[in-house]
Amino acid sequence: MVESGVTAMAGTAGRLRLSPAEHRRLARKARLKRELTGWMFLGPMFLCFLLFLVIPVCGTVWWSLQTGNIVGGTHFVGFDNFAQLPDTVGAGSAIANTLIFAVISVPLILVGALAVALVLARIEHGGSIYRFLVYFPVLVPGVVAALIWLFLTNIDFGLFNNLRKAFGLDPITWLSADNALGLLAVLDVWRNVGYWAMFFVAAIIGLPTELYQAAELDGASVWARFRYLTLPLLRRIIFFAVIVSTIWGLQVFDTALVLTNGGPGTATTTVIYRVWLFVFQSNNKVGFASAISLVLIVVILALTLVQMRLLRDRRGID
Amino acid sequence: MSAIPAIELIDVGKHYGAVSVLSGINLSIAEGEFMALLGPSGCGKSTLLKLIAGLEELSEGEIYVGGRLANYLKPSDRDVAMVFQNYALYPHMTVRENIGFPLKMSGLAKDAVRGKVEDAASFLQLGAQLDRFPDELSGGQRQRVALGRAVVRQPLAFLMDEPLSNLDALLRVEMRTELVRLHKRVGRTTIYVTHDQVEAMTMANRIVLMHKGVIQQVGTPAEVYSRPANTFVATFVGSPTMNLFKGRIESGGNGRKFVGPFELPLNGMGTKLADGPATLGIRPEKVQIAGADTSHALTGTVELVERVGADSFIVAQLGGGTSVNARVDAATEIKEGDLVAITLPAGALCLFDAEGIAVEEGT
Amino acid sequence: MAVETAARLPPAIAADHARARRARRRRNELLRHLALAAITFVLVAPFYYVFLASLKNATEIFSYPPKLLPFPPYLGNYEKLLFHTGFLRWMFNTLFVAGSVTTLKIFLDSMAGYALAKVDMTGKKVVFMAMLILLMVPIGALIVPLWSLMSSIGLIDTYAALILPPLANPLGAILMRQFILGLPKDLDNAARLDGLSEFGIYWRIVLPLIKPGLVVLAVIIFTDQFMSFIWPLIATTSDDLQVLTVGVAALRAHGGANYGLWSASAVMSLIPVGVFFFVLQRQFLARSLAGALKQ
Repeated sequence: MVESGVTAMAGTAGRLRLSPAEHRRLARKARLKRELTGWMFLGPMFLCFLLFLVIPVCGTVWWSLQTGNIVGGTHFVGFDNFAQLPDTVGAGSAIANTLIFAVISVPLILVGALAVALVLARIEHGGSIYRFLVYFPVLVPGVVAALIWLFLTNIDFGLFNNLRKAFGLDPITWLSADNALGLLAVLDVWRNVGYWAMFFVAAIIGLPTELYQAAELDGASVWARFRYLTLPLLRRIIFFAVIVSTIWGLQVFDTALVLTNGGPGTATTTVIYRVWLFVFQSNNKVGFASAISLVLIVVILALTLVQMRLLRDRRGID
Repeated sequence: MSAIPAIELIDVGKHYGAVSVLSGINLSIAEGEFMALLGPSGCGKSTLLKLIAGLEELSEGEIYVGGRLANYLKPSDRDVAMVFQNYALYPHMTVRENIGFPLKMSGLAKDAVRGKVEDAASFLQLGAQLDRFPDELSGGQRQRVALGRAVVRQPLAFLMDEPLSNLDALLRVEMRTELVRLHKRVGRTTIYVTHDQVEAMTMANRIVLMHKGVIQQVGTPAEVYSRPANTFVATFVGSPTMNLFKGRIESGGNGRKFVGPFELPLNGMGTKLADGPATLGIRPEKVQIAGADTSHALTGTVELVERVGADSFIVAQLGGGTSVNARVDAATEIKEGDLVAITLPAGALCLFDAEGIAVEEGT
Repeated sequence: MAVETAARLPPAIAADHARARRARRRRNELLRHLALAAITFVLVAPFYYVFLASLKNATEIFSYPPKLLPFPPYLGNYEKLLFHTGFLRWMFNTLFVAGSVTTLKIFLDSMAGYALAKVDMTGKKVVFMAMLILLMVPIGALIVPLWSLMSSIGLIDTYAALILPPLANPLGAILMRQFILGLPKDLDNAARLDGLSEFGIYWRIVLPLIKPGLVVLAVIIFTDQFMSFIWPLIATTSDDLQVLTVGVAALRAHGGANYGLWSASAVMSLIPVGVFFFVLQRQFLARSLAGALKQ
């Protein structure tokens, strides 16, 4: 036997047979090969990520410090664009509209989705038909959804007014300057409630049933079970849904364009809509457009970081 | 056995940034040897296995497999095969394809592959499962497929990472014997990682005890049991654990003695140990229990008697909070509350210094 | 069974309780069905209304009370749509672009996910963090620099302009990483020992085992591409490159209020996704679950 006997630490501490320099060289070669392999896998996607996401984000910052047109020249103006933003026609209203839109649509979407999910999660037969129908509007492109809602809101033959007529009421202008934004929000609710409903259904199904059985034995009513059991258990998921649906809400554009052309006036001109107008339908406004875009990006990043912080509380990112 | 060790580790170390997982590992594994890497979780034994396999990169040192420097070789070029704790069978391939996979990768002809696969399968009694998928098999069968995949390559060495820990107790014992039988038949070098000292003691030719990334002792099961290198090894191996008494070595008129929960003359033991703090150890089965009589220096009261079939485990209180574990024959008449005389035979004593390192006996 | 306790009810009363429970269950189920039927009716009715309109001529659309059944169907709208507008071309463009992006991303994202999950490389964490942080930044917020970039390369008004920017979305890579991390432990290590190269592990072990994940990814990407609007709007100018969403919006914007045409275009736009969805229901609904995966 090579090593019998008893030794605590040092065995036959041999001498390394290769010089440290040799080892360093070979180790570096092996590591390089490994890194290269990794980057060959990650590279293509990462390249696209850099070119079409990271660099454009930096580009937005640069453009926001310029003034001029997107083709042809621009020159540097520093923070002027941001300073003048509140006074710039259309910028303030775009931000206000978008915020109001989000404040109306997000709670409606999530409350509706939760309600639908609570019922759908417990249904015993025929669930899949309902899921299909509830989810269907999610797949409708914004443009098409807006077109459909034109047929609902049309003064003369729209479904809403036809219903009013059927009940003996007078037809009204649904897309008036006062109502348009609200209606846009309802459109968004119609489109998105199905998505979040499915999301919540998955979450609800994952809840432990023993808790509910115990609560039922304790005499808790349906409402009490919801309030003291379901809601707290779903708190994180609901929070996640709030953040993500808000981020999506802030991007509204397609529907605003097709339903009302941003109007009447600027009633439904949202942030991205305004950016598009500044860049492609006006002169010398690319700086403002980028400034607004940057504001939007920053808000989205802030919301993302809030959400990441929330998720990290429970479990670290791998 | 050839003179060149099958696997040799020289000054091997592994660290992640500032955290050292392994350090100063020097090991020489002979051809055909069954060597167990034993230690508690987190001691680095699995990492060491992965270093030998090439699945992790060394931070320092050299590893030789079959006489060749393996540091910079791909895992598949090192001529070792590994059995993983969770078997790592390819779920989308049949048993036949799983076992034959390494052969296929090495470019062997289809017929040759088929032949070897069927040999391995019949050897491991998997003949009937060949065309099934892993999720249709039981735990024990999956384990044998993992073994088959390793065996079929006829590698220089088998590396096994706690292969039995996912099996239920009965199956584990059964498979333990199977593995030993396999090793006897095939005779290939095997490195076996486990945290179960019974497994290591029953299966291995030699055991490497590891703790916090450092080798504590290398030796045969007998050596590791009766002459532990330090208190860690002494308590990790053997069940129930060795009795350890903390105290001091003092020189006095009547020679040197151990002073602790009791006094014990050393009678020439521990000559290499200076006066000062020390620990005395003795295995439970070496402790002699007899009816109390005045001639004995050490007496205690029986606190607990655990009858486990052929033996009885006694816990006796010496007073002052110190207790002694002893193992006696079940036939011995003893019950709780008895006053007993405890003898600690000199030949069975182990002495450890202030750091817990065993003191070698001179002559 | 012979043990009598005070808590035991006589069989007749126990049976009554059971019957009452069953009846309550049935009633609750009925209520749920009613609620869901009402909700789905509200959600789905607009589609039917528009479908009806698409089969009406101009006078019928404006008539009150409106016809509630599509008989006899007026096919002039569809005829105009399919043969006198670029609709079919738009549909082709959308399917082509969406299909290309989906196919490319399946490979790009699964490879990236493999690297992020299983390959030991420096900068992995940084890249992953960057992807997580920028995940939610929409293409709509980047139209200025993106357009400028595409324009300077001279790619405006090409299929490349439509296909390339969507490749940047990190959702796919993140999802794939998640799926690959979920594979059985040490599978890649076993494959390495068996002699597979990294690419071999990716191709022969990982890809086959994450097939369900790939389908989910494909569904997500395809649907997103089908619905994308603002980028195609500004990236293409010539008629034969218009995608469905942009073309349909143009119908609304130009050429007066041809309601019949509009309704027909709405209906036709929904057919591909509707069919797709019907066939692959489970994978579509998994899209929502992908969010739940993040928890």
